[in-house]
Amino acid sequence: MEDNIDVEAGENPFQPYLDALRKQLEHQDPIFIIGIIISLAVVVISFVLLKYFLSSKTVQSAVLLVGLCDSGKTLLFSRLLSGKFKKTQTSITDSSAPYKAKNEKGSSWTLIDLPGHDSLRPQYVEKFKSAARAIVFVVDSAIFQKEVRDVAEFLYFLLTDSAVSRNVPSLIVACNKQDITMAKSAKLIQQQLEKEMNTLRVTRSAALGTQDGSARSSVHLGKKGKDFEFSQLPMKVEFLECSARGSKGENGQADIGSLEKSLANL
Amino acid sequence: MLDFFTIFSKGGIVLWCFQGTGVTESFTGPVNALIRSVILQERSGNNSYSHDALSLKYKLDNEFELVFVVGFQKILTLTYVDKFIDDVQLHFRDRYKNELEQKGALALLNSHFAFEDDFKMLLREAEESSKARGPTSMRSFNASLKSQKTVKSMIETKGGDKGKEQGGKKNKNAKKEAPAAEPVKGEKAKAPTSAQKTEENGNQGLTQEEIIQKKREEFIRKRMGAPVEKPSKSPKPVKEKPKGKEKRVWTLGGSSTKELDYSQSNGNGAHAAGDQGLDAQADPGMQLSSMKGDLLAVDYESSEGEEEEEEEEDAVERVVVADTSKKIPKKGAFGGMFGMLKGLVGSKSLSQEDMEPVLDKMRDHLIAKNVAAEIASQLCDSVAKKLEGKVMGTFTTVASTVKGALQDSLVQILQPKRRVDILRDVLEARSQRRPFVITFCGVNGVGKSTNLAKISFWLIENGFTVLIAACDTFRAGAVEQLRTHQRRLNSLHPPQDHGGRPIVQLYEKGYGKDAAGIAMEAIAYARNQAFDVVLVDTAGRMQDNTPLMTALAKLIAVNMPDLVLFVGEALVGNEAVDQLVKFNQALADHSMSDKPRLIDGIVLTKFDTIDDKVGAAISMTYITGQPIVFVGTGQTYNDLRSLNARAVVGALMKA
Repeated sequence: MEDNIDVEAGENPFQPYLDALRKQLEHQDPIFIIGIIISLAVVVISFVLLKYFLSSKTVQSAVLLVGLCDSGKTLLFSRLLSGKFKKTQTSITDSSAPYKAKNEKGSSWTLIDLPGHDSLRPQYVEKFKSAARAIVFVVDSAIFQKEVRDVAEFLYFLLTDSAVSRNVPSLIVACNKQDITMAKSAKLIQQQLEKEMNTLRVTRSAALGTQDGSARSSVHLGKKGKDFEFSQLPMKVEFLECSARGSKGENGQADIGSLEKSLANL
Repeated sequence: MLDFFTIFSKGGIVLWCFQGTGVTESFTGPVNALIRSVILQERSGNNSYSHDALSLKYKLDNEFELVFVVGFQKILTLTYVDKFIDDVQLHFRDRYKNELEQKGALALLNSHFAFEDDFKMLLREAEESSKARGPTSMRSFNASLKSQKTVKSMIETKGGDKGKEQGGKKNKNAKKEAPAAEPVKGEKAKAPTSAQKTEENGNQGLTQEEIIQKKREEFIRKRMGAPVEKPSKSPKPVKEKPKGKEKRVWTLGGSSTKELDYSQSNGNGAHAAGDQGLDAQADPGMQLSSMKGDLLAVDYESSEGEEEEEEEEDAVERVVVADTSKKIPKKGAFGGMFGMLKGLVGSKSLSQEDMEPVLDKMRDHLIAKNVAAEIASQLCDSVAKKLEGKVMGTFTTVASTVKGALQDSLVQILQPKRRVDILRDVLEARSQRRPFVITFCGVNGVGKSTNLAKISFWLIENGFTVLIAACDTFRAGAVEQLRTHQRRLNSLHPPQDHGGRPIVQLYEKGYGKDAAGIAMEAIAYARNQAFDVVLVDTAGRMQDNTPLMTALAKLIAVNMPDLVLFVGEALVGNEAVDQLVKFNQALADHSMSDKPRLIDGIVLTKFDTIDDKVGAAISMTYITGQPIVFVGTGQTYNDLRSLNARAVVGALMKA
């Protein structure tokens, strides 16, 4: 009402309306006024509750399957859920399904398979990162040597993300494709990744700012002054080997025992 | 005859596949290539794609999130494939509706799709339908029009006999309207309807007297000089006799041979220069004292300009009229309002007509934001394909769905398709004891030398030693400009701080030399002196200038740089498409190897001059598929940034 008084030009047209409103209010029963106030309060409270519930839909009940393109995420997804071998193509969207963990409690949560292609990865990680209680990072062990810098960059991007460093989901690095003879072991992959992340800490912090001046994430991995090790991270990190295809190929079982065990321990 | 047919979900699980007899190779490779180059790069407007010897056609089912792909040999032209895919899609959807409708991937994983029999039946039907229409048999001579013409009428003679020709033809076509009264009518009366007189000769239709009569008419006509009644309803204009050959006049040739003697002017130029090294610049074609007096205007024909303006105005009016006429049926009905409400609540699937007005508006919006016109239309087509048949949720309008999808596609295009981390790659090259070579190419005046200086500042700030190779041997002052930058950078980071060795050095060989040779020597020098990075600056060149493009391609093919950066300014509009396509084409054509080095990255300069008309970023990344590595936002050394895809797309989609 004060605004109207300030605007001199608008004073005259508004004044009669104000008078009329005031007269009406005075004429009403006080109970009616109380009723209006209560209904307004109910609306406000329900609005607040709704916002609270909507924002906390990010109850962390999902396990994300992430990794580079062609690392075997979709096949792993299929094996975990149904045990069957399915031919797969490059995923364009995410797939999700409820998963029953193989532990005594029989807890079930959602398993989400995200596409690994470089142009889709950031969008999908952005969408699902806050809902993650664990991240399974799938690595192609056979061609790891060639891809080590890309793998490390993606892992760095994941670990320095603000939502991830806040929620601290546990990280399982699954070194997939162990059925191929040239596959590297999990220990070797861990050492190589640690070395690479060490270098990345330096180069990424020296990278250029973006053109609109938005702040880059300032999370520093590991301890300053010391070489990077996965044990320095606040989250639980585990390296394990698995093979989604399995040693007998399409008809046999997949070698994902250790993965299933880790998932059961979540 | 099909090599393979697959049906897979957008999440990547193959639901059903078929491999043709005798085909041993797996189709996973080609289909993945299709997904990566077409669907993910938003080029799905055109639904076929070729990979090696295979041609792939695909169809997206957006309601159930499925993709149908068929592959066959490129040399075969199968006409039934498009319709076949549509049939298969409808059939598959109808049959497995229950499984497909369930949310979540479990249903897809657990169910087994036994589609072979249906597929074989559909394939058989499609093949038969294409064979059913046998080759069209040629018409027999009697049925053709030619047999109905008189032989005499087809003989071309000069002058007025054309009239007779017309008459002769008309003789046989009774359906044509009655022509004007003329003596020729006489022979028409004689000849009955065309259907019967198919083998009649023209001569038989004209008796002797009539020929004489006709010739008399002609004589009188020519005497009078007045045009008598036109012999037919479509008068053929009498061709002017060719006057004989005229002497051709060349515009730049001059009128005498004396003008073509340039020896005098060249000699003057050499003496006046005096400096060694600068006389190489005197153009042999340049004529002194041709710029005396006022400057000439850019020559264009003003009359043509006016005509064009008028045509444009007409076109604009016509377009406006068409638009209003389109709008009227939509606004008028009361049913339209109800339909809008219905569209808000409840799920309905999107169709092409629903999306079209929104897409047109988005296309215009993108073009207004400086996205190249053809890129904007390709993008909108691709978004339409992606959304067709999709079921919208409650309370979502068509406009919001389309805008959301367009925004996602734009972010996807701007995301780099490979890792972009220059510092890491330089470290890698350093560990291999070789310099990391970056080449800058682009058209004139986009900011190559300025941004080269900015990038070298960034690199020396991070502790790398830089060698600048001055391969711009044409533009006056190019070498001096780079020398000034080198001096400034060295004063900012004095050699004392870096072990007594200047952190930036310039490798130059003056003007007029071969750029590729200078680059090769510079790289060898850098390897010997253990420089970390070599930045090669080239001369600006227009994409249409073939000899210069050949020279650039040679420089890149011979020196094999680690990174070929195309420098483009953010102000460019539709030209960006042409520049990039031609540059890539030239690099591919003139390279000797079978894996030519193309443009690896883009530097987008003068970003501070555009407010939110950031469409050039989209055009450039869409055309090449390469990421934008640097963004130049000013002229000082600190004005170098990297691209934030979300911010750019936000600025683009902002109203």
